[in-house]
Amino acid sequence: MITARRRNTELGLIVLGAVITAAIYTLASLGTTADLPADIGPFLGVVLALLLGAHVATRRLAPAGDGVLLPLAGLLNGLGYVWIARLDENLAALQATWTAVGVTAFVATLVVVRRSRDLERYRYTFMLIGVGLLLMPLLPVLGKTVNGARIWVGLGPVSFQPGEFAKIILAIFFASYLVEKREVLGMGANRLGPLTLPELRHFGPVLVAWAASLVVMTAQRDLGSSLLFFALFVVMLWVATERASYLAVSALLFAAGAFAAWSLFSHVQERISVWLDPWVDASGQGYQVAQAAFALAWGGVAGTGPGLGSPDRIPLVETDFIFAAIGEELGLFGAAAVLVTYMLMIGTGLRIAVRAQVPFNKLLAAGLTAILGIQSFIIIGGVIRLVPLTGITLPFVSYGGSSLIANYVLLALLIRISDDSAQAEADAGGAARSLAGTGRR
Amino acid sequence: MPESLLAILKLCALALLYLFFLRVLQAVWAEVRAPSMAAAPGVVEAPVRAPARREARSSTKLAVVEPPELKGRTYGLAEELTVGRAAGCQVTLEDSYASQLHARIFARDGTFYVEDLGSTNGTFLNSEKVTAPVAMKRGDRLRIGSTVMELTG
Repeated sequence: MITARRRNTELGLIVLGAVITAAIYTLASLGTTADLPADIGPFLGVVLALLLGAHVATRRLAPAGDGVLLPLAGLLNGLGYVWIARLDENLAALQATWTAVGVTAFVATLVVVRRSRDLERYRYTFMLIGVGLLLMPLLPVLGKTVNGARIWVGLGPVSFQPGEFAKIILAIFFASYLVEKREVLGMGANRLGPLTLPELRHFGPVLVAWAASLVVMTAQRDLGSSLLFFALFVVMLWVATERASYLAVSALLFAAGAFAAWSLFSHVQERISVWLDPWVDASGQGYQVAQAAFALAWGGVAGTGPGLGSPDRIPLVETDFIFAAIGEELGLFGAAAVLVTYMLMIGTGLRIAVRAQVPFNKLLAAGLTAILGIQSFIIIGGVIRLVPLTGITLPFVSYGGSSLIANYVLLALLIRISDDSAQAEADAGGAARSLAGTGRR
Repeated sequence: MPESLLAILKLCALALLYLFFLRVLQAVWAEVRAPSMAAAPGVVEAPVRAPARREARSSTKLAVVEPPELKGRTYGLAEELTVGRAAGCQVTLEDSYASQLHARIFARDGTFYVEDLGSTNGTFLNSEKVTAPVAMKRGDRLRIGSTVMELTG
């Protein structure tokens, strides 16, 4: 019953989302070339085919899984594609390929992970893989430095960012580790005002995570990922133990690390000074952030219209700054729509976590949702100058194969968890009913 | 193409976008409301066929639904019993949101009633606060503190 409703909701939303994407794609083409796009038919066909493929796979493989996540992700993916296509045709062709690979990865994840609990068993394997992926770009031959950050790995003709996959693998590891240790880590020993402090040695894991994220920051010069990993661990630790003192101590550690990074590294100082005032050097260091501010201001409330702005002035607009491009051409309404989409996804993720009966599933769903939330906050906050800019992709929207594929895997895991919970609920209900039947005879 | 037409089309596209969110919210709302509805069909399918009193008493149980760690634990119902955190209660809950002596469950004419004993956080039958003794039927959900139990059997 709930199964059919969820799947039909999903189908309806996917069709609506594809129509919206095609409409905005058409508008962008009208804006840039004053002509209808030649390929609008095939475009709508491909968008529908990809998402419906994922939908059919969900019907088969996770029939009771959540029904709104996939359409929301598809909408973000579609919006992102429209702007990538409007900015750079070559990248658009690649992004289309990445989307196809991403949807395939989504289906493959559902095929391979039949029960999310199975992931719990391989925790130390996941830990090794996760840490390995995280440190892979530091290897002498494989690692590559692009735009100052050493986060790429080249294997023959294929280059990818292993960190994008590491975040999911590490979330799985954290979840299984914390499920086992949460009672110990949650025990209070001392009290400090309103906070119950766990024993000092239980802060060990926090220190390890902190040190690891410092390594990522200094060796790979990747501020965004560094922050994401640390925040992910702390949030999951907090959810597992319900001890706010971990949040407080982590915030202090973060402040100390941030201050140290600021005093030691010129690239961090640069980011901070651009954040505080991009106009001092608006044609130099502050150029990117300043142009993004112009773009958002120019967009106003309703935007210039797709294809009618000039977001191509912003460096790296297809990846880190795509939010500014959408904000310029769809205005506050469009930018808010992107935010609403993320909020709906995060809300759905947290609902999945609340509904999950198995502690491991609960924590994993919370962790995966945290990744989505933290990551979109870090980059959107950076673009609108709420926080210092740390280059990281906007999930599902930015150009980038690794990011897109990893996020589709993340989505599949969330849907798998919600399917598990719904199945278990249905089983429990069925069992209770049949018990009632035998009792009555 | 005139710019005003493009602007109108753009606003239409934005309107569609928010229509999409509205549909998502509708779907979410339907699900959030679902749990209380989901319990109902079980009751409809298994109507109480006025079984003999004694039998009803011996086979009716409270099955723990939440928290998940205790899921599956059942408490057999008797003529009268008390629920709470105190060790003297027939149903002892290790639940910091439950009061020491939280509620009383008793049978009258083959029907079980629940009564709140002035607990701090209240007793809820199917999310409705119990203020006076209220009759329970099969499939009802009783929430005491953070523990949810379903009447089965």
